[in-house]
Amino acid sequence: MDKVMVSVADGSLPRILDDLREAGLVVDTVLEALGVVTGTVDVRAIPALRALPGVLDVERQWRVQLPPY
Amino acid sequence: MSEPTGVETTGRFLVLLEEGRVDEALLALGDIATGAAGGEPAEVYPTLGVAVVSADPSQLADLNNAVESPGPVLVVEPERVVHAIDPVASEATAEPTAVDESVLTWGLQAVAADVSGATGKGIKVAVLDTGFTTQHPDFAGRTITTNSFITGESVEDGHGHGTHCIGTSCGPRKPATGPGYGVAYNAEIFAGKVLSNAGSGSDGGILAGIEWAVNNGCAVISMSLGADVPAGTPYSQIYETVAQRAMARGTLIVAAAGNGSRRPASIAPVGHPARCPSIIAVAAIDVNRAIAFFSAGSVDQIGQVDVCAPGVDVYSSWKLPDQYKRIQGTSMATPHVSGVAALIAEKYNARGFELWARLVLSCRRLPLPSTDVGTGLVQAP
Repeated sequence: MDKVMVSVADGSLPRILDDLREAGLVVDTVLEALGVVTGTVDVRAIPALRALPGVLDVERQWRVQLPPY
Repeated sequence: MSEPTGVETTGRFLVLLEEGRVDEALLALGDIATGAAGGEPAEVYPTLGVAVVSADPSQLADLNNAVESPGPVLVVEPERVVHAIDPVASEATAEPTAVDESVLTWGLQAVAADVSGATGKGIKVAVLDTGFTTQHPDFAGRTITTNSFITGESVEDGHGHGTHCIGTSCGPRKPATGPGYGVAYNAEIFAGKVLSNAGSGSDGGILAGIEWAVNNGCAVISMSLGADVPAGTPYSQIYETVAQRAMARGTLIVAAAGNGSRRPASIAPVGHPARCPSIIAVAAIDVNRAIAFFSAGSVDQIGQVDVCAPGVDVYSSWKLPDQYKRIQGTSMATPHVSGVAALIAEKYNARGFELWARLVLSCRRLPLPSTDVGTGLVQAP
């Protein structure tokens, strides 16, 4: 499972959540103001997420790491 | 991106794939992509057209062959260790400070905060970082809203980096001891913890922090964090969409350009997420108005530096018991810009793109390449 972020078209939240879940996304947070949903998904399901009407982009989440000092 | 000595690598490789031919490229990589030969399966970033693969020395030849032969595998590079934009170790620059800092830091003087009538009053500024030292005596009596987006950790800054950035953007002008160091000293502070005490975080927490700041009506979001990327890497479409939506709701996002350069030998491209067109990318200069050796630059058409600000030998608040620290990095330049943006927001009641325009156009031009400093040194109104 990969951590991803999904941007959706204006006005498609919360309606699109059911579709995202059905396509395999385990929803972590719903960011209504930004029109973004974060969560985890099997990498093979990412094309299905991307194909959903109302989905703009799907990207893996980056990690940042500060070294100790 | 933080260490002045060389580039840290992970032993894995970044593979740039031709746009629209990602699946084909993965087939071309064969066992290296699937992990069938014993390594980890590739991590694939289809939107970016990038795969991260493990390859042992015997597979390196296959990887290089895939690049050199015609096809969808374009470039292979060692994977860099990804960091939040971190202070750069200070021994690399031994420039004595020529400016009198007995009253105010050189940075506040350079951005003309000392001669501005604006204070940040009524303006909300969000700093998304390692949290905040809530018991710091210099912030007693200030209006500070906090939230942690790191599971299992309070907003309390166990690192120091977040407290330093908040100090520069919104700290005091007349602390009990030492020079004043805060640009927008009357701004309302929103401290969002999106990096853990160990300094780690991910896009999920950062986006949650942005949402929180937007919903709270913050005029400015300051993000002294990022990741080095190879030149030519597409910017994140999602961050770009988010930045545009935030701007439409009156919130401007300012981010550190990155510390990956080792000038004059090399100039690193602007990192993620500062390379998004709708996020202000901040470079760092020193007290002599010279570009900092570590400051990322505009090296391709995707990530461009927008402005610069003081980012060398920057004095600000730190976690207790130290209270103060003097460090450098584009991380330190970024909150100077955020603070100036708050002053402009107050003076002109400007938000969103109007604020962007006033901030960028009012910069003091410097005799340096625009690829290094954008339109120049930000100036308080």
